[in-house]
Amino acid sequence: MPKRQCEEALTKLFEYIDGELSDEELLRIGAHLKECPPCEAEHRINEKIRLLVSKANGESAPHQLRERVLSTIQMARTEAT
Amino acid sequence: MTVTESASTRTRSGLQSQGPVRSLTMSEKTNLDFEAEALSYMDQLYAAALRMTRNGADAEDLVQETFAKAFAAQDKFTPGTNLKAWLYRIQTNAFINTYRKKQREPKRTDADTVEDWQLAAAAEHQSAGLASAEEAALDALGDDAIRDALAELSDDFRMAVYLSDVEGFAYKEIAEIMDTPVGTVMSRLHRGRKLLREKLRDYAAERGIYDRKAEA
Repeated sequence: MPKRQCEEALTKLFEYIDGELSDEELLRIGAHLKECPPCEAEHRINEKIRLLVSKANGESAPHQLRERVLSTIQMARTEAT
Repeated sequence: MTVTESASTRTRSGLQSQGPVRSLTMSEKTNLDFEAEALSYMDQLYAAALRMTRNGADAEDLVQETFAKAFAAQDKFTPGTNLKAWLYRIQTNAFINTYRKKQREPKRTDADTVEDWQLAAAAEHQSAGLASAEEAALDALGDDAIRDALAELSDDFRMAVYLSDVEGFAYKEIAEIMDTPVGTVMSRLHRGRKLLREKLRDYAAERGIYDRKAEA
């Protein structure tokens, strides 16, 4: 059974990573992660997955889609006048 | 002179230098700002659409539909507010209305509550050796594995994870985009990320770069 501080850090780990905590919680959990290697390992793994997901998802819109959208705008414009 | 005429002299990056003789009216200027900013999000909306529909042709149709709806509803957008989140909201609604119906995926009732995952979240310490083995395995997995694992999540989990990890939207913004309470967003993120991690461990084990038996 983890310590109470571990429990808090692990429960709020995603909010910590996502920058959704109050300053007070952020400092408290940040301090705990520094002194607790197993919690810090959890933090590192989740942070890594977040980065991997972000890196793997950067596709650009194909050229023909860009053309289609632009002609849609032209049409909307024409209808508006 | 009409708006259409001035539009025909435009390039995507703005007005041509030899462009219209008269200056633009305020509302034309607003429209052009809206258009330029909206178009700047096309790559991101397309990448998100790929995650939503899980195929290229549907993703293109979805983005096209999103822009058509956005321009038709342009008057409903309040300048100065978050246009990117507004566009994501339109796209998410379009996806739910068009593609979920098409896929005939039964709409799940989200009975998941905050308390649920809070109970499940604790007590997840693991040994240092196991943690570094997992980190090494994650480093060895390629982008394809990450995308495949994400694609296996249910729509709601996948979108919550995508909007947070890739787009960096705040929980409150994701709640607005997905039209759901913040508590549900947190629950989806927790469950979605946990499942994603499980799947990545499975993939790594299948490739022989991670030993699931060591977890027990």
